[in-house]
Amino acid sequence: MLSIAARRSWRRHAAGYAFVGPALVVLAAFLVYPIGYSVWLSFHEWDGYTPRWGPFVGLENYRALAGDEVFWRATLNSIVFVAVRTPLEVGLGFLLALLLNRRLVARSLLRTLFFVPVVMSLIVVTIIFQRVFEPNTGLLNTFLRAVGLGAFTHPWLGDPATALPAVIAVSVWKNVGFSLVILLAGLQSLPQDVVEAARVDGANAWQLTLRVITPLMRPILALTALLSIIGGLKVFDLVFIMTRGGPTYSTEVLATMLYREAFELNHMGIASAVAVILVALVLSIARVQTFVLDESRAGGKA
Amino acid sequence: MSTVVASAAVARRQQRLDRGARVGRAGMWVVLLGALLLSVAPGLYMLCLSFMDNPQLFAGRLVPYPRAWVASNIGRLYWNSVYVSTASMVATVALSALAGYGLGRIRFAGRGVVYGIVLIGLTIPLQIALIPLFMNLRTLGLLNTPFALIGPYTGFGLAFGTFIMKGFFEGLPRELEEAARLDGAGELGIFARVMLPLTRPAVATVAIFLFLQNWNEFLFALTFITEGRMRTLPTGIYALLSSEFYGNYPILAASLVLFSVPVLVLYFVFQQQFVEGITAGALKH
Repeated sequence: MLSIAARRSWRRHAAGYAFVGPALVVLAAFLVYPIGYSVWLSFHEWDGYTPRWGPFVGLENYRALAGDEVFWRATLNSIVFVAVRTPLEVGLGFLLALLLNRRLVARSLLRTLFFVPVVMSLIVVTIIFQRVFEPNTGLLNTFLRAVGLGAFTHPWLGDPATALPAVIAVSVWKNVGFSLVILLAGLQSLPQDVVEAARVDGANAWQLTLRVITPLMRPILALTALLSIIGGLKVFDLVFIMTRGGPTYSTEVLATMLYREAFELNHMGIASAVAVILVALVLSIARVQTFVLDESRAGGKA
Repeated sequence: MSTVVASAAVARRQQRLDRGARVGRAGMWVVLLGALLLSVAPGLYMLCLSFMDNPQLFAGRLVPYPRAWVASNIGRLYWNSVYVSTASMVATVALSALAGYGLGRIRFAGRGVVYGIVLIGLTIPLQIALIPLFMNLRTLGLLNTPFALIGPYTGFGLAFGTFIMKGFFEGLPRELEEAARLDGAGELGIFARVMLPLTRPAVATVAIFLFLQNWNEFLFALTFITEGRMRTLPTGIYALLSSEFYGNYPILAASLVLFSVPVLVLYFVFQQQFVEGITAGALKH
């Protein structure tokens, strides 16, 4: 016989599962199961066509990747991509957020327009920028010729040396608005009395920004940076449409390598190993994110 | 005398400050307007390209539009995109409202695990699911059907939706629930009659954010849909790049404009919700 309290708590658990149940089923089917599938497949060999997976090969796929120049190239490119794009995105976003965090004519209009690149679809963005970087009649080279800098015209996406920087530039262009919006919300949530007190004490705009606002913003800046790093590691569309990882793998990143291994080379095991590595990278960064958040929450309470 | 000197010094100092402030203001506007130009120029460039008859001449006519409409079969693409984005948005909103309520207001065993799955879904790259979903959809004969996108979009949107809805339900006051409970309402009654009507802002945020995300999604659409007729806008336009229209920028640009217009209209109308979705997702863990 169940006591009344036990029955009530049983009913509470049942009610909880009744509410999360449907979502849990969908998450299990489209998230949890695929993760398990990918991890398990990464220990196998498979071309994707035979009805059954190939033999279990243990860590062979990972070992093959470790000896694969393209994999290291892709990893390095992913790291360079993130290392260059994140400081630019967060830095420029913070600069614009600081400027927009004052009383200003057309402030909300500016914020709206700065955010337009973020909502534009990547397919649109990449096709426009392909055209901008086009060597003969593209906007960039035409502009350079027009202002007498014809010597600097360049096949931007065709040269392995400039392709990755060009792709990174587009990525920064697309995402500065994202950092801006988060940082602006952060600035507006700062304790106004502290800022006001510093102003009353005679701090000028520079001192205020560098000594008061920036330290207060540190956790939110770190968070924005982490989001940008995670987004950067996941990047696919931009690179895939713009350069397909070329020329000669100069823009290959982990996500494009995964796609190529799976759907062009039919190496399902290897592609799954790349996916697992990518996920491990992203989740370890996300782990840092929760630390930062805990710290900022603790700091906020202190 | 000394006061005159002093006041002159103060005036000079003030003047210097004024000048400094003026230079600062000018610098600020240079930065802001530069950023504004960079933000909108590519979009305007696309608009210009779309009005050109051929890449060299600015014709100022709408010539490429009817041809773009036909070339990319854009009416069909529109319908597919609207259908897929709306269906998965509705499914996601419904499921995440329920799950958000369960996680936010009912203390049940295993709640931490469920929420952990949601948090993982929030950050994990969707590439991890690419091969498994492709293989299973193929086995089930569901590639090139709307479900091939609606299902995965719902699955991956659900993490975001549940996260936002949970945060919202948690923020609602206890008293609401207690009053209803005293009136004899059950859990479902509390959810449907008391809580749900209050969550309209959160629902709007989730809905608009997911709709735009689904509308723009490329990787799943590229992999799970290979038949031209079933494509959504991003991959339909991508396919133009490897068709006879490769390099025909007026046609391409016109297609891109047609594709972008709904997104931009939605963004301008629902800006508030969209920005809330982003900042909530980032700041409120």
